[in-house]
Amino acid sequence: MTVDLVARIQSGDVDAFETLYRQHSARIYTLASRMAGSAEDGEDLLQEIFLQAYRKVGSFKGDSALGTWLYRLALNHCLDFVRSRQAKMNKLTETLDAETSIEPTARRETPIARLDLERAVERLPEGCREAFVLHDVEGFDHKEVADLLGIAEGTSKSQVFKARLKLRGFLRGK
Amino acid sequence: MHPSDTALNDFIDGTLGAAERLEVEQHLAGCAVCRQTVDDLREILRAIGEAEPLDAPVRAWSRLERAIRMEREDVAVPGSHGIASRERQGDGGGRQRGSRQALSPWVPWLAAAAALVLAVAIGMRYVPARHVDVAETGAPAAAGEAALSVETELRQAEAHYENAIKGLEAIANSEQSELDPRTAATLQKNLAVIDQAISESRAAVRAQPASEPAQQSLIDGFKTKIGLLQDTVALINEMRKGNEAGAARIASGLKQKGT
Repeated sequence: MTVDLVARIQSGDVDAFETLYRQHSARIYTLASRMAGSAEDGEDLLQEIFLQAYRKVGSFKGDSALGTWLYRLALNHCLDFVRSRQAKMNKLTETLDAETSIEPTARRETPIARLDLERAVERLPEGCREAFVLHDVEGFDHKEVADLLGIAEGTSKSQVFKARLKLRGFLRGK
Repeated sequence: MHPSDTALNDFIDGTLGAAERLEVEQHLAGCAVCRQTVDDLREILRAIGEAEPLDAPVRAWSRLERAIRMEREDVAVPGSHGIASRERQGDGGGRQRGSRQALSPWVPWLAAAAALVLAVAIGMRYVPARHVDVAETGAPAAAGEAALSVETELRQAEAHYENAIKGLEAIANSEQSELDPRTAATLQKNLAVIDQAISESRAAVRAQPASEPAQQSLIDGFKTKIGLLQDTVALINEMRKGNEAGAARIASGLKQKGT
């Protein structure tokens, strides 16, 4: 990301902003879709995140790379979405577990297909999906996940482990 | 005795102490079941770690660009109180707004589309309520109230979606002459399929208002229809701009929907 491109984006240049979008949209869309648990919500979040970035990019001071700034903004937006949805649902993870009735993929030794994997992540119950995405995909440690999600570190750990075992059940029929 | 799930996960993460790790390793050497569990979990972590990022839908940039242009338009009009203005309330983001790019003639109706897109994306995130366990709430009355609230919310969401669809349909219909006959026919066919699905889902919701699958199916139907109409607007936009490659990509997506 050149200084020139940042300056152009900050001046409101839509072409320059499109360059930023092309560079980062896949990663942010992936994060948003996985955190939200659906491609449709992921697309809505992608739109909101980049619109917010366009509005706020003027306040970007260059303390970090623009991509890092954008990622943090995206992560915060996804977390807000997750919190707001959880509040709306007023629902505990445990009760969702009982409802998760995905048909397990037949036992197989073949590599895990990409589509199956994404679908399985989507079907993870609220709570453990976010912890799994943040820890096992995005690489945050349990303390960071706990801070981000407002849960105890031990809860982060148990949620991640639960997610892994559920994924195994979905993908391997166990 | 098998190690606990926690111990196996800690083993995979490499966070076990030396003694516990050795214990698990010794167990794995003689236990095919736990070995398989560890192999499966490692395979899942490897697969998710190596997975390439998902490509955002082609229409996503078109939607965003329209929303941005609409905001710029909104800013350019003194005293404007459009949706973008409302969106900015409390935002505090000190962006500088340049006006280097001239707005093209299709902006007015694109702005209308962008407003709808924004409304759909931001204002109508309806989440179907899950089944409310009476045992959880402690009183059947609480479940009854929750069900009523769900119905009200669903009705509101339905009204919002229908409004958005109506607006997008008006734009798509008025500009449909821009489309080649085959694409227009495909579009109509797909819309008919989606309308049928919406109609069936609506009937299911009326019959069983608390049914989560029925609610979800109805909302999914609305979202699919909005997505298709947004694609149509994006396609017309690309054709007007003379972007054949962009138009071809969107048209290809249109043909896959509803099939």
